[in-house]
Amino acid sequence: MKKLIIVSAVSLLTLTACEKEIDLNLENKSGQLVIEGNISDKEEPHIVRVTRSVAFTQANQYPAVSNALVIISDNLGMIDTLKYTSDGNYNTEKLKAGVSGRTYTLKVLLDGKTYTAQSELPEKVPLTGLKLIPMTFLGNTNYDVLPEYTDPPTLGNNYAFIVRANSKKGIVFEIESDNLGNGVANQRDLDIPEDDGDSVKKGDIVYVEMRSIDKNIHTYYTAVNQLTSNGPGGGISPANPPTNISGGALGYFSAHTSQILSIVVE
Amino acid sequence: MQKFISCILVLVLVLFIPTLVLAQHKYSLSGTVKDKQNGELLIGVVIRLEENPRLGTLANEYGFYSLSLPEGNQTIVVSYIGYEVQKIKLNITNNLKLDIFLEPSSVAIDEVVISDKKSDENLSTPQMGTEVLNIKSIEKLPVLFGEKDILKTIQLLPGIKSSSEGNSGFSVRGGAVDQNLILLDEAPVYNASHLFGFFSTFNSDALKDATIIKGNAPAQYGGRLSSVLDIKMKDGNNQNFVTNGGIGLISSRLSVEGPIKKDKSSFIISGRRTYADLFLGLTEQFRENELFFYDLNIKANAQINKNNRIYLSGYFGRDILGLSDNFNTNWGNASGTLRWSSIMSKKLFSNTALTYSNYNYDINFKNEVINVTVRSKIQDWNLKKDFSWYISDNHFIRFGTNTIHHTISPTTINGNLSSSFARKSRTSLEKAIYINDDHKVTNKLTLSYGLRLSAFTILGGDTYNIYENGVLKDSVQLAKGDWGKTYFNLEPRFSSNYRINQVSSFKAAYSRNTQNLHLLSNSTSGNPTDQWIGSSYTVKPEISDQISLGYSRNFDDNNYEINTEVYYKNMQNQIDYRNGADISFNAGKDIEADLLFGRGRAYGLEFIAKKKSGKLTGWVSYTLSKTERKIDGINNNQWYNSRLDRTHDLSVVVTYLLSPKWTLSGLFVYNTGNAVTYPTGKYEINGQTIFHYDSRNADRMPAYHRLDLSATYEAKKGKKLQGSWTFGVYNAYGRQNAYFIEFQDNPDREGTTRTLQTSLFRWIPSITYNFKF
Repeated sequence: MKKLIIVSAVSLLTLTACEKEIDLNLENKSGQLVIEGNISDKEEPHIVRVTRSVAFTQANQYPAVSNALVIISDNLGMIDTLKYTSDGNYNTEKLKAGVSGRTYTLKVLLDGKTYTAQSELPEKVPLTGLKLIPMTFLGNTNYDVLPEYTDPPTLGNNYAFIVRANSKKGIVFEIESDNLGNGVANQRDLDIPEDDGDSVKKGDIVYVEMRSIDKNIHTYYTAVNQLTSNGPGGGISPANPPTNISGGALGYFSAHTSQILSIVVE
Repeated sequence: MQKFISCILVLVLVLFIPTLVLAQHKYSLSGTVKDKQNGELLIGVVIRLEENPRLGTLANEYGFYSLSLPEGNQTIVVSYIGYEVQKIKLNITNNLKLDIFLEPSSVAIDEVVISDKKSDENLSTPQMGTEVLNIKSIEKLPVLFGEKDILKTIQLLPGIKSSSEGNSGFSVRGGAVDQNLILLDEAPVYNASHLFGFFSTFNSDALKDATIIKGNAPAQYGGRLSSVLDIKMKDGNNQNFVTNGGIGLISSRLSVEGPIKKDKSSFIISGRRTYADLFLGLTEQFRENELFFYDLNIKANAQINKNNRIYLSGYFGRDILGLSDNFNTNWGNASGTLRWSSIMSKKLFSNTALTYSNYNYDINFKNEVINVTVRSKIQDWNLKKDFSWYISDNHFIRFGTNTIHHTISPTTINGNLSSSFARKSRTSLEKAIYINDDHKVTNKLTLSYGLRLSAFTILGGDTYNIYENGVLKDSVQLAKGDWGKTYFNLEPRFSSNYRINQVSSFKAAYSRNTQNLHLLSNSTSGNPTDQWIGSSYTVKPEISDQISLGYSRNFDDNNYEINTEVYYKNMQNQIDYRNGADISFNAGKDIEADLLFGRGRAYGLEFIAKKKSGKLTGWVSYTLSKTERKIDGINNNQWYNSRLDRTHDLSVVVTYLLSPKWTLSGLFVYNTGNAVTYPTGKYEINGQTIFHYDSRNADRMPAYHRLDLSATYEAKKGKKLQGSWTFGVYNAYGRQNAYFIEFQDNPDREGTTRTLQTSLFRWIPSITYNFKF
C-alpha cells in the first residue's frame, strides 16, 4: 500500500514516467545450492526442497538435486531421514505434525558438505476470521483483507501472511511482528494480489494463510520483501537475505504453525 | 568543560599576540558595504588598495570589512560582481569609518556570472573547494519545470553530485547526503527537499546568496563531514517597496519587500505554493486527494544605532499529501533566527545568533479498522557567538563558540495500534569553540589555519544500550538532568595559497571534520520518514580527514579562470545497517542493535573552467572520482563502491546574450551511472523468483546524460512593471535515463524474467513569467 501511494504520488506529479525492457548483459552465475525447508503443525508430509540457482537469462527452471541426504531431528530425540520424491522435494516419513515449542534441526549432506539449520516452532495464535476492508483510491474501490487474531501478551510473536486470490499464482507475502500492537487484537490489513491484472471483485475468493514464525525467519522474510520494494530513487542495495542455514546454501528452514481461512468478496 | 575551553582559547590568543605588536603605524578603515538601490548588505565585496593591490580584504558574510592602511593619500578600489567598480580617494591620518554604497551595473545583470568576483580572488584566497553562488546569476539557467533551485545548480559544480535524477539531495566528494550542513540564515535545515526530493525547500526569491565549501571549511563551521552550504536570505529593500513574483507550471511565487523606516530597517516576506492539486481538484477522480507544498520566508532587520543591527528571520515549509481519508501525511521544516550584529570597534565585529530549527512529519493511516498516526521530530536550539577580529593587514582572526541543544523524537506510532516499545525522545548538547587565523605570511603566501574543539554530550532521560557487533553488552540508565558520555574532538583546519605569479597560484589544505547526528535512510533520494539519530554509547562520532591540493590559473585579464583540485578523504565510524533490519516504525526495541559500522574513503580530481564575462558566459566542470565503504557485516567485510560512486561527471553550462531582450541558456550533463548491485542469478523460494547477488555495488546503472535549454525574454527596462518570460525544455533530446532498474518475472512470457528500466523526465517543457514592480 505504501509503495503504491508513493509511486502514485510521483506519477501524479510527473505523468511522464515510462518503462522499457532493457538488456544489461548481467554476470551469469548458476549452480548455487538452494534449500527451502518447511515444517508446519499440520498433519502432512513436510517438504524440504533442494535445488540449484540458474543464470538470470535462463528460463525459471531450477535443477533439482536428488542425491542429497536430508535429515530432520528434534530436541526430544526424533530423527527422520527424508525421502526423495521428485522435483528436488524430500518428504518427511516419521514426522507428521510439528509441535509448538520443539526445536527442529535440518541437516543436508551433499557432495561431502553438510548444511545445517535450526528453527523453533512457535506457539499457535488462533486465526479467528477474515474481514474485507474497502479502500477507495482515485475513485476506485479496492479491498484489503484483515486477518482477525489476538496477539498473546508476551512479546516476541512473529507472523507471516500469504494472501491469494482465486488460487492464482500471484501472492502477497507480508511479514508482521508484535513490535507493534503487542497483546491486542490485530488492526493491520493485508493487500490482496491482483487476479489477472484486476483487483478482486464480487464473487472472488480470497485465501489467507497465517503462520507463526521464529525470529530468524522473520528477519529472512523481511529481507526478501525489502528486495522487491523500489520506491523513488531505487530502494535498498540488494543483498542475499540472511539465511539461518549454515554451510553456504541459499534459502531457509522454517518450523511454523499454519492456518488457512478464506472469504468470498460480496 | 567551559573552563577547559576558555583555557584553550586564551592559550591560542597568546600565541597570536606577537602579531599585534607588528601592527603599528597603520590606521584602520572599516565599515559596511551595501547595495545603493536597496540597501542590502553585500557579501564578499573586494576592497583593495590601488597603489598596492596585494593589500586588500573581503567584506564578511555580514557585509562588514576592516582594513589596515598606511598613513597618507591613497585610493581604494571596491569591486563586486554585478556592480560598478568604485574608486575612493582617501587621506588616511587616523582610524576611519566608511560605509560604501555600490551601484548595480546595468551590463552585469545580463551576464550569468557564476561565482567569485570578476577579479583574481580565486588566486589570492587560501580557501579551497569553495564556490559562491549569487542567486541573481542562476536565474536564467534551464531547470526542471522552470523551478529555479539553488540545490540543483550547485550540482553542476565539480565534486557535487545529485543523489538521483531531478533530486535536490546531493553528495559532496563521495560523502553521504546527510553529511552536508545546510544553513539557512545560520539555522540548520534537516530536510532540504519537497516532494520526495524533486524540489528544494529554498525559494530563490527570498535568497541573497549561497556558499558551498567542500570539506575544507574554516573553523567556524562544523558538525558535518562533507560540506557546508551556507545560504543567506535577503535582508529586504530599505529604500523602496518592491514586489517580485513569478508564475510557473508547478508553482507561483510572490515576495514583497520594503523599508519599515527608510535607511534604518526593512522587511521581506516571500511565499511559494505549488498548485498542481488545484487542477487535479477539477477532475472527479482526484477531488478527494491533496498534493502540494508551500514555503514562507520572512525576514526583518532594524538598525539599533550606527554600530548595532538586529535581524529576525523565519522559514516555514510544509508538504501535504492526502489520499481520500485513508492516508494523510505532512512534513516540513520550521526555523527561526534572531541575530545581532555589532561593530564593536574599528577592528572587531561580532555576531550573535539564536536559532531554532524543527523538522517533523506526521502520517495518518485510517480505514475501517485502523486509525494510527506515525510521528517523528528533530528540534534544535542553537546559540552562536562569533567574532571577526581584523588585527592587522596580515592577520584576520575569527573565533567564537556554538552551543546546540538537540531533541530527537524517534518514530513512534500512536492510535489504536501502538509500538510495543515506548521510545523516548533523546536530548544532547553539542558545543564547540573555535579560532581561525587568516595570515598573510608574505606577498605570495597566505595561510588560513584554525582549530575547532567540539564536544557532544548525551543528556539524560532515556536508557542507552551498548552493543558490540549487535550483541548487547551493557546498558546505561540516565535520569533526566544527568549528563552522560561526552565525545571530544579536536578538529584542525589548515589551508594555504601560494601565489606563483600574477596569473596562477598553488593551494594545499588539510581539515578534520566530525559529525554527531546521523541519518538512517534506506533510499538514496531521501524519504520524509528517514530517521535522524545522535551519537550514543554505541554510535560513535563520524570523523573525516581530507587533504587537497589545487592549482588555479587565470587568463585574459581574469576573464577566464581555471581551477583544479585533487583530494583524498578518509572517513571513520560510517554507519549502515544489517540486512533485513527494520528501521521504520515497526522496528524492534532498539535500532542501534541493527547498526553496522565501518570506514569510507574517497578521492578524486576536480576541474572547472569558467568564462566570466562577455556575451557568452558559463563553465565546464569535470570530476574524476572514487568513493568506497568498508563496513563490518557487509560485502564480506571487503571494500565496495558507495552507491554514489560515479567515475566521470561532466557539466557544461552556457549562457549567451543574444540581444538586450533575449538570453539563451543551455546545460549539458554526463555522468557514469551510479554503482548498483545487479543479480548474478536466480532461484525459487515459496514458488516465487528470488534473485541472487554477489558483490555489493559492483555494477553500474547506464550512463546518464541530458541537455536542457532555455530562453529568457525581458521587456524593456525602465518601466514601472518589469516582466520577463522564460521558456525551457528539460531533457531536450528525450534521453531515457534510468531512474531505477527492476528485475522481475516477465508477465508476457511465463517462466522467464526480464529487466525493466523506468525513466522519468523527457522533453519536459516549462514556461515561467516573472515580474517586478
